[in-house]
Formats: sequence, C-alpha cells, structure tokens
Amino acid sequence: MSAFLTSINPGFVLVLVGLIGVAVPVQRVRQAMMIAAPVIGILMLSLADQGVDLMTANVLGLDLIFYRVDSLNFIFGLAFLIAALLNAIYALHTDDRLQDGMALAYAGAAVSAAFAGDLMTLFIFWELTAVSSVFLILRAGTRAAYFASMRYLAIQILSGVLLLDGIAYVYKETGDISLQAFQSLDDPGAFFIFLAVGIKAAFPFLHNWLQDAYPKATVVGAVVLSAFTTKLAVLACARLFPGFEILIWIGAVMTVFPVFFAVIENDLRKVLSYSLNNQVGFMICAVGIGTPLALNGAAAHAFAHIIYKALLFMSMGAVLYRTGTAKAHELGGLYKSMPFTALFCLIGAASISAFPLFSGFVAKSMTMSAVVHEGFIVAWLMLLFASAGVLEHSGIKIPYFAFFGHDSGKRVKEAPFNMLLAMGLAAAICILIGLPAFAGVGYGWLYDLLPYPDAANAYRPFTVEHVLTQLQLLVLAILAFILLKRFGLYPQEKPGTILDTDWAYRRLGYGFATWAGTVWSKAGPAMSDVASRIGMRAFSQIEMAFSPHGLTSRGMLTGGMAIWTAALLGLALLLSFVTVG
Amino acid sequence: MSDPTMPDRDASGRFLKPENTSSPRIAGDDDMHPAARVMFGWVSAKWAPNLILLVVALASLILIVIDLRVERHEEMEMANATGFYAFWGFVSFTVAVLSGWPLGRMLRRDEDYYGEGDSTPENLGRGGEE
Repeated sequence: MSAFLTSINPGFVLVLVGLIGVAVPVQRVRQAMMIAAPVIGILMLSLADQGVDLMTANVLGLDLIFYRVDSLNFIFGLAFLIAALLNAIYALHTDDRLQDGMALAYAGAAVSAAFAGDLMTLFIFWELTAVSSVFLILRAGTRAAYFASMRYLAIQILSGVLLLDGIAYVYKETGDISLQAFQSLDDPGAFFIFLAVGIKAAFPFLHNWLQDAYPKATVVGAVVLSAFTTKLAVLACARLFPGFEILIWIGAVMTVFPVFFAVIENDLRKVLSYSLNNQVGFMICAVGIGTPLALNGAAAHAFAHIIYKALLFMSMGAVLYRTGTAKAHELGGLYKSMPFTALFCLIGAASISAFPLFSGFVAKSMTMSAVVHEGFIVAWLMLLFASAGVLEHSGIKIPYFAFFGHDSGKRVKEAPFNMLLAMGLAAAICILIGLPAFAGVGYGWLYDLLPYPDAANAYRPFTVEHVLTQLQLLVLAILAFILLKRFGLYPQEKPGTILDTDWAYRRLGYGFATWAGTVWSKAGPAMSDVASRIGMRAFSQIEMAFSPHGLTSRGMLTGGMAIWTAALLGLALLLSFVTVG
Repeated sequence: MSDPTMPDRDASGRFLKPENTSSPRIAGDDDMHPAARVMFGWVSAKWAPNLILLVVALASLILIVIDLRVERHEEMEMANATGFYAFWGFVSFTVAVLSGWPLGRMLRRDEDYYGEGDSTPENLGRGGEE
C-alpha cells in the first residue's frame, strides 16, 4: 500500500481533491479536505524514491513519465505543497466552493508539472495551471477582474500552445520528449519552448499578465496565484535552459525595471506583483549562470520567495479584507488596529529585503556570489541596484504605507484568526530557514534540500564580509529613505493607473481593433452593396444572353451562326486549293 | 419631512455628528489594539522619528567604521573599497525614489483609464465573517 502511495504524483491527489471539493457544499468538510490533501502530499513526497520513474504510461505511442522526483524538482514541489497548505489555512474564513477547489487543483497542477518527467506531461499540467487559476481572478466578481482574467487566460493558453508547438518540433527532430536541457536556441522547438517558459516566468515585455491579473484577484486568490506559475517556469527554465547566457541579461533586466514601476504604483497588491517580477529575475539570472552554486541559489531563492511572497500577499489581503482597500493613499496607521498583521508583514518585508537572520539573505547571497564569481560585473551591479530597489518597494513601501506613515484614521478588527495563523506559520518559516544552522534548524535544513547539497553546504552565508556588506547596503538605503521623507523628496502616493507596456494591446491594440470594427461596420455594407450591384448586373447580362428569352436563343442569331460557319468553311476550302495549287 | 441627505439637528438646532455606520471606523488612539501598544506604541511618540534617524545614522556610521577594520576579499576589485556597498545602497535607493517624480508625471493616468471600473474585489465581507 505504501509503495503504491509513494508511486503516485502527489499533485494528482491535490487536483482530484480540489475537483471533488468544488462539489462539496459543507464548508468545514471541504476545508478539512483542502488542508488534508497537501499534508498527505508532503508525506507522499517525503517517502518517494528519487531518480526513478515512479509513474509511467504509454499514450498514443508516447512514453509519458507522470512522476519522477530528483534533487532539482524536490524542493520546488515541497515548496508548492507547503504553499498549498498555508493557502488552505488562509482561506478558512471564506465559504467559496469554487475558490477552494480551484486553488487546490491549481496547486496540484503545479506540483504535477514540477514532477513531470517528459515534455508532454509538463504541457498537460502547464495548461491545467492556466485553466484552474483563472477562477481565482474571476471570483473577485468585478468587471475589471473579468477583463483581466480573460487576458490572463488568453496569454497563459498562448504559452501552452507555444510549448506544444515546441514539443512537436522537438519530437519531429529527435523522437524524444524527455525533459532534457537544450544546447541552443537555434532549433525552432527549443525557441518556442523558451518563449512559452518566458511568458510564464514573466520575462520583460511578456510580464504584463502578472501585474494585470494578480492585484484584481480575490483576497485569497492573489495569495494562491503568487506561489505557483512563475516558480514553475523557473523550474522549467532550470531544467531546460541552464547556463544560457541570455537568461543572465533577461534576469538582470527583470530585477531592475519593476523597481521603477513599484515606486510610483499606488495599489499595494500591484506593488507586490512588480516585486514578484523582480524576485523571479534573480532566479532567472541564476539559472543563466548555470553553475551548481547558482542553481542552488535559484532553488533556495524560489523556496524562500514562495513563502515570504505569500506572507506579504497575505498581509495585504488581510488589510484589503478589513479596510476594503489596498491603495496606499487610503491606508496608513493600521498597526494600531492590526498589530499582528503588521508584525508578520514586517517579517515578510525583512525576508524579501534579505536582512541577515531572515530567509532571503541565505538564499539570495548564493546567486549574488555566483554572478560575481563568473565575472558578470554589470549584471551583478544591476542585481545590487535591484536589491536596494526590493528594500524600497517591498521592504519599506508595503509596511510603511499600510501600517505606519500617515494615520488614515481607519480602525478595524485584527485579521481573522485563520489568516493570522497562516501568516504566523509563513513568518516562522522565514525566520527558521534564515537563522545560522544549529540543532537541525536554520539555513542548513534548506541547504540540504538543494539540487547540489555538497556545493550548498560548502557555502557560508554568515561570514563577516557577507553580513557587513549586506547590512551596509540595506541600512544606508534605509537612511536614504528617512532623509528623502524628511526633506519631502519622496513622491506622494496618488491614485491612478500607471501605464506599462500592456498599453500596447490594451489601448493601442484594442483601439485599433475598435477602429477596424467601426470602419468595417460602415465599409462592410457599402462593399456588400457594390458587390450586390455588380452581381445583379452580371446576372442580368448573362440572363440577357443565355436565358430562354436571351439573345443566343433568338432565330436571327442561329441563322447568323449558320452563315458564319458556311463562310469559314468556304474560306478553308479556298485556302486549301491555293496551297495545293 | 426631513431631508434624508441632511444631518440631523439637536433641540438647539445644531447639526449632530452623523454616526458612522460603515466599517472601517475613523478614530483616535484611544481604542488602539492592546498588542499594538506593547509592540508599536513607541512609534507614535513625538521623539520617535528623530530617534529612528539617529539610530539609523549611527548604525550607518558604525558599519562604515567596521568596514575600515575588516579586510575584505571581494572578487570584484571595486567592491573592496571602503563603504562601496553603503554608497551603492544609498545611491540606488535615492535614484529609484527620485525617478518616481518624472515617471509618475509621465505614466500616471486616470484610475479608470482603461474603462474597466474599480479593481477592488467585491464581497470582501470585511468586519465580520469569522
């Protein structure tokens, strides 16, 4: 029995329970299922053998590997399962069958995809993540959420189509669809798959779906969404494109550009979405470096990030839930009524900013060391700039404008207990994996789970140099914040929509489509009229010539034809006489 | 019949302050959460901003002084300079924040610029449903 259980992809259990959960009307029964499934999943994963094809099938001549655990995907799958558990706890105050079920099915799809052993299985669950997650945006119930969810779905499905296209090319070229690293992007198959991964990872110019959809999702939905899709893409990138230099620069740009948008964004959940983009940039950059240290950095960062980003989204979700807004210009002073939420938010902020003794520090420093070790100085300086930027938007802006700063006068209840419990657990993980290694806790636990544990354990994050330089970067950045605020140089939070590159399709593209529609609505009937007249005239001419009453049927013409025939035959006879004579 | 849009008056004809029935309430520090007083009560003190500035400035100074004493072996030569990270952190943060002024003017549009309405989720159930 236990052998059977350990040979099943735990993601399948989550998907199945999630789908059943949609039909379970009793709230507490359904929620017990939502919590039990990831717990069982973690147990199943911990018992599974690594490096073995545990669940296979032959479908339409394709050898599919549904479950294969190895040192790379283990940590991602574990992080997904922990996130699914935290999400289920965070959602306990709501009674929403569709949201509960789809949140778990989405997590299950991500877990299933993480443990896929071939490209086709990856594709199946890649698409399932898109289809299941869209409900988390739709359930917000607003017109804006509806439009955003449709754009989200279209872009996610496009990613799936590109992936399938790439798989078809790869299969045609090699006859092999196993998950193996590509050697270059010259092959169309590799290029299409790279694009598909790029969409899900929110590469620059392919990123807008994230900042468009996540802030419009439900309170619970945004927390759930933050964990899976982009980190699944990071895993796919690490699996398929490790060491591709282009990823170093894509990742570096990803870390930098969101900083500027986050500074001026007023919606704090959108600030977190830009921050998510920035954090994934660090991971993509590490994958581009591709050395064991860098891949360890990417995996550790993904694990830590899933937890602290969920924590930050949870805290902003709690604020939104209690006050009805997540807009910075309407918030402030909430520490007075939501002190525990404020405390957990500060822990999340310290973690994402990579303060020593918090999870971000032990994870991100590996990436930074790997980048500078390989000699990519410009990329390293960009990441260093982005580190100060993270402190600005996630480390300071989020907690400061929501909980401190100008007192908005809002006095609300503290977040519901289940929300506090989920935040407390996430905060505990952020601290426990950020501590120096001792007695089975601390960063040593995380490092043991990394793809290259030997390289990880040879790395020492808590050296005097590391701690000193990181503190210098952060403390001086905080000093800059205080001085900028004191001298009135910090831009005021204002309501508004900040234009991003999605303007191209939301305004320009939509405007062109609308204009084309208007033109067609006028030109269409006119063109139909012209075509109709031409048709009518042609018909009447043909009818005039060939109908029973037409010209060709009249006697005069028949007689004329006989005369012409006789004349031509006579001419032919005359010519024959002349030529013979 | 009284106008429902006008606030009520007392016997002397003065306007009565309308009772705020919607959550969240607007209030002072009197009903601050007890845990907030313990954890963050000092934040609202008048001396807090100056103290925070002093502590952070002092910490900055100490970190740079320590840097003078610690021999670092950075792989990038430039990073070995005393206070390099302090300088980079301060300048990066300042550049990121100050860029907000021109960027805000350039990129900020009306809240309903795309004509899709408010993006705040419906049915938040705030104030109860625990």
